[in-house]
Amino acid sequence: MSDIAPKYKGSMLRPLKALSFLFREPATLPMRPRPAAKVYRGFHLNDWEKCVGCATCQQICDNDAIRMVHIPALPSDPAKGIRPRRPAIDYGRCCWCALCVDICPTGSLSMSREYIHVSRDVDSYFILPDEEGMHGVRYPQGWAKDENADLLDLKRQEMPEEPPQERADNFSEICEGYDPQTAMLEASRCIQCGMCHDACPAHMHAPEYIRAIFEGDFEKSVAEIYRTNPFPQVCGRVCTHRCETACSIGKRGEPVAIRWLKRAAVDNVPQDRTIAIALKDKAKTKTGKRVAIAGAGPAGLTAAFDLAKLGHEVTVYEEKPRPGGMMRYGIPEYRLPYERIDADIAVIEAAGVKIRCNTKLGRDVTMAQLKGQADAVLLSTGLNKGRSTRIPGSDHPQVRAAVDLLARITLGEAFDIPASAVVIGGGNVAFDIARSLARLQRRAFGKVEVTVLALEERDKMLADEEEVIESAQEGVKLINGRGPKQVVIEGDALKGLETVKCLSIFDEQGRFHPRYDETDVMFHPAQMVIEAIGQMSDVSFLGEDLTEQLEWSRGRIRIDEAGRTSVPWLWAAGDLVKGPDVISAIATGHAAAASIHAALMGETEAREAK
Amino acid sequence: MSIPARLNEVLNELPAIQARPAGARRVRVDVAPQGLPALLELLKGRLGFIHLSAISCVDWIEDGQFELVYHVWSHEMKLLVSCHVRIAREPGVYVSVHDIHEPAGFFERDIHEMFGVHFDGAPSMEKFILTSWEGPPPMRKDFNTRKHVEETFEWVDYRPDWLKDIERKGGGIES
Amino acid sequence: MTTPQVPDPATLAPSEEYDLYFGPNHPGIEGNYSVRVRLKGDVICQAVADGGYLHRGFEKIMEDRLWVQNIALVPRICVPDPVPMEESYARAVEMIGGLEVPLRAQWIRVLMLELSRICAHLFTFGGNAATIGLYTNMFWGVTMRDLFLDIFEEITGARIYHIYITPGGVRRDLPEGVLERIEALLVELEERMPQFEDLFFNNAVVIDRATGTGRMSAEEALAWGVTGPNLRATGVASDVRRDDPYLVYPQVDFDIVTETGGDALARMMVRKGEVVQAVKIVRQAIAALRKVGGPVRCELPNPLAWDLPAGDAYARTESSKGELGFYIVSNGGPRPYRVHVRGASSMHAVQVLEKLLVGSRIEDVAQIMFSLDACPPEVDR
Ligand SMILES: Cc1cc2nc3c(=O)[nH]c(=O)nc-3n(C[C@H](O)[C@H](O)[C@H](O)COP(=O)(O)OP(=O)(O)OC[C@H]3O[C@@H](n4cnc5c(N)ncnc54)[C@H](O)[C@@H]3O)c2cc1C
Ligand code: SF4
Repeated sequence: MSDIAPKYKGSMLRPLKALSFLFREPATLPMRPRPAAKVYRGFHLNDWEKCVGCATCQQICDNDAIRMVHIPALPSDPAKGIRPRRPAIDYGRCCWCALCVDICPTGSLSMSREYIHVSRDVDSYFILPDEEGMHGVRYPQGWAKDENADLLDLKRQEMPEEPPQERADNFSEICEGYDPQTAMLEASRCIQCGMCHDACPAHMHAPEYIRAIFEGDFEKSVAEIYRTNPFPQVCGRVCTHRCETACSIGKRGEPVAIRWLKRAAVDNVPQDRTIAIALKDKAKTKTGKRVAIAGAGPAGLTAAFDLAKLGHEVTVYEEKPRPGGMMRYGIPEYRLPYERIDADIAVIEAAGVKIRCNTKLGRDVTMAQLKGQADAVLLSTGLNKGRSTRIPGSDHPQVRAAVDLLARITLGEAFDIPASAVVIGGGNVAFDIARSLARLQRRAFGKVEVTVLALEERDKMLADEEEVIESAQEGVKLINGRGPKQVVIEGDALKGLETVKCLSIFDEQGRFHPRYDETDVMFHPAQMVIEAIGQMSDVSFLGEDLTEQLEWSRGRIRIDEAGRTSVPWLWAAGDLVKGPDVISAIATGHAAAASIHAALMGETEAREAK
Repeated sequence: MSIPARLNEVLNELPAIQARPAGARRVRVDVAPQGLPALLELLKGRLGFIHLSAISCVDWIEDGQFELVYHVWSHEMKLLVSCHVRIAREPGVYVSVHDIHEPAGFFERDIHEMFGVHFDGAPSMEKFILTSWEGPPPMRKDFNTRKHVEETFEWVDYRPDWLKDIERKGGGIES
Repeated sequence: MTTPQVPDPATLAPSEEYDLYFGPNHPGIEGNYSVRVRLKGDVICQAVADGGYLHRGFEKIMEDRLWVQNIALVPRICVPDPVPMEESYARAVEMIGGLEVPLRAQWIRVLMLELSRICAHLFTFGGNAATIGLYTNMFWGVTMRDLFLDIFEEITGARIYHIYITPGGVRRDLPEGVLERIEALLVELEERMPQFEDLFFNNAVVIDRATGTGRMSAEEALAWGVTGPNLRATGVASDVRRDDPYLVYPQVDFDIVTETGGDALARMMVRKGEVVQAVKIVRQAIAALRKVGGPVRCELPNPLAWDLPAGDAYARTESSKGELGFYIVSNGGPRPYRVHVRGASSMHAVQVLEKLLVGSRIEDVAQIMFSLDACPPEVDR
């Protein structure tokens, strides 16, 4: 050891110091089970109440460790975005990264503070996690969703809007739409779980068109949209967007703005390109079959578009001067500009659909004539008569139906604008007329006096939240929990409306049956009372014979799933058979078109076979 | 961010060189394949780029090229210069620079093994990692790992009781 | 049944040299690795390193995974010192994507990196001692490291594969009270240091066995591409944290530890000094973290729809083993087009090891490897 540097030399006995450790407490831990650290990534836990079976965990898993298991006993609710399936984990593949936990849209997944699983049974490594933990012993929760760890973007891109002071006295469109950049950012929030597709009445290919926007390919997006919806301009603006209700991101955050994305897609593709894309799969040959359609609303026009693309000759008869139905004569222009409806309809006309306006079935043309001219007839005349409350005084001329007034506004037909008005109803139609009237009042008198009287309490309103908020910004008053009692008339003049307090709206069976506190009476002075409590159909054009021939169910024409009535050449679609919105009308339009096509072509085939 | 004047000066002495700043203490230089050895010599001799941190290979299969990136560091200048060359994917032959930087031997051998690029004059082109591998150089883009795995290994077919139970009730694993 | 014919060694022609396979199943080898040594007597006249036993194809697999998914893979490249792997991957992605890491996250990352350095050095220190028969040291080193792993578990949810650093920051903030627990543990470590000193550095056996073993000069080290503690043990004060700084290292006060011996002993001395420096850095990080609040991650897009802009970046990190490099290329897609990992041991586990072994004795193979802190998994990737 001669070459050891002197400074390193120590006593030979030094290492013996280690002997003192013999008497210390050992640093090793006892072997009994103990819970791991608070954020430990142990075995998976899944809260089945929260889990909706979206399979996003499966998408993020970098090891293919997650399988979705279909469990028939679980609840399934496409409208709410709930699928009857749950993730199962393969611990032969899992690497315990917990990315599945961090991305889980509902926050149902977490990991336990349990360390150990030892078994010779291979099957024991494949588990269907629930809250009980891998071994049925409830270890505390470890790694769980945390604000920082969350991998999802829970905030949507804001929609630029006209501020209240700029929009309150005119009908120009409020929402300005996303620019392409914003649309791509919004599209990037989508996790492609497909809940929206299931929830949409028309089963639109939303994941696909959103993905295309994310990729910056707006034309592809429009093509995906046209697979199921010939009214993208309309639906991109006013759709009731049930897809967003089902959206998994919406479980904890703001759902992807699917409706605005649809709008962004069509807004960013020129009309001629849209026409080319929409008509790409139009049949080259004609079938020689003719179809007559009554009513140029979304249901009739969708069916017309489908049938024309399939090579049939389609004529649509419309009572009003312009096609579009409630989209044009109901929905106010500040939500849906007329030229947007025109743009969608131009595509439909480009497919070869003929639309005869100012032609009312039952007045200008009869059912018999339609039947004589066509191989099949589709009724899609909607619900265009306002329902009445039938309270005392409701037959006064200054008691008006919301849909009548809205139609007059579109038609440009003058009516005396009341300086003050009350609207009965708490749905979107009530707000449409209230806000329209408010604009007209502001123009005519410089001030607004419109009150919406809703049966429901504020937190149970039927109308969309933005309607309530925006109408207030525009000066519309809202009073909740009031039911109409009578219209107050002095001499010939309408003085206002009396309401009573609404105690409950539904009975024990859940049927609409409001109860009132008759002692709590309120008087609302007004020059006009507007009823916005629902619409009904007018099918007097059917005539006695046909009315008799048809089967009915609760006041509606009975149809099969595809919209065919009990009369073989007659179909029905839209609000007439199934409400309550544009997208449902479109869905029934598709179904009817497919059924008509099958029936017509079946006949052809049958004849050819003879 | 700009290129230090001293570096610019040296780079200007060589033909067909493109240089641009690439972040803090990072400069990217693109050079023709035949110019790389001279560039490395010059950087090493004149500016103290004596440390070859790594050689990276990128398979640009659609361009039919391999990109080789020589990351050299100068302790003096505190700067990392990444020299990029592109060589034809076929036959995939280049020269060794181990005579300039000894560490090159390791990286060239690795790239040969993983991408199939042959370095003329390298000290060793023998296998190091994939000693018993008979297949193509696996880091090439046309080698599909997933496919290889599917062909080589089997998925475990688990049959736990809970699954059998769910299957009896009409459910089961979704594809 | 026929019995195999075993020739009587006495009848064989005499040979001076013979090959010995050191590893891959040898308790003295670091990890699964092998060196084929040609011996003359017990002196090595040629050494050939043989890797691949731990090749998992990380670089290739990463090309198939989303930018975020890869954070689950990177720590696995090097078991003893996983944090620099996470850091380097994240930083290269941040460089390409122009992501700003919030200040608090930067300090957390420094804290994690230095804790990992302490762990790695304790591990190596224990392993190194074992190669010269001092198993008590090994137990002590590993035990001490385990207490640090408790801290990791508390912060990250895992003891070794933390998967904690992510592009843009870290996955979650520090748990309540962890800074105090780290401080207590540092005190405990400092109390142990003199004992390590007694047992190891003041141990005549260590000094005898390690002095002059596996020696290289500064010139050789630089020419061979040696980095990290091994380079500093030859007297070269080079450290990525200082020379090519990242995170908040420019604000951190620490000394670059150097020794001049260039041998196994000097290398262990450097590591000992670095543990002391790391403690100092951790304390600064703790102080900073008590003051600096704010987010711990920048906003990131939905990981399922995240296209990083096209570009490339080379991130370097000073790991416990030297310069770790991650070269990442993005072609503008949702996954890396290429990830190249320059393991910090790439040089000293292969070419340098082969050189240093020549002329040394068979009993020192393990010690040389451990004193170099050669980490096979990061070479194999
Ligand atoms: C005020 C209001 C606002 C609404 N807002 C929205 C909204 O924001 N989002 C949404 O999704 N839905 C909304 N809806 C509902 C939506 O407009 C309807 O569900 C949809 O238009 C129904 O389509 P349809 O084709 O069945 O009928 P309609 O759109 O009602 O079309 C029926 C057409 O038939 C014509 N017609 C009727 N009788 C005859 C006849 N005898 N001869 C010839 N033609 C006839 C009508 O003139 C009309 O053009 C709103 C409805 C109203 C009233
Ligand atoms: S923890 Fe990671 S590897 Fe395991 S199932 Fe979840 S995502 Fe997959």
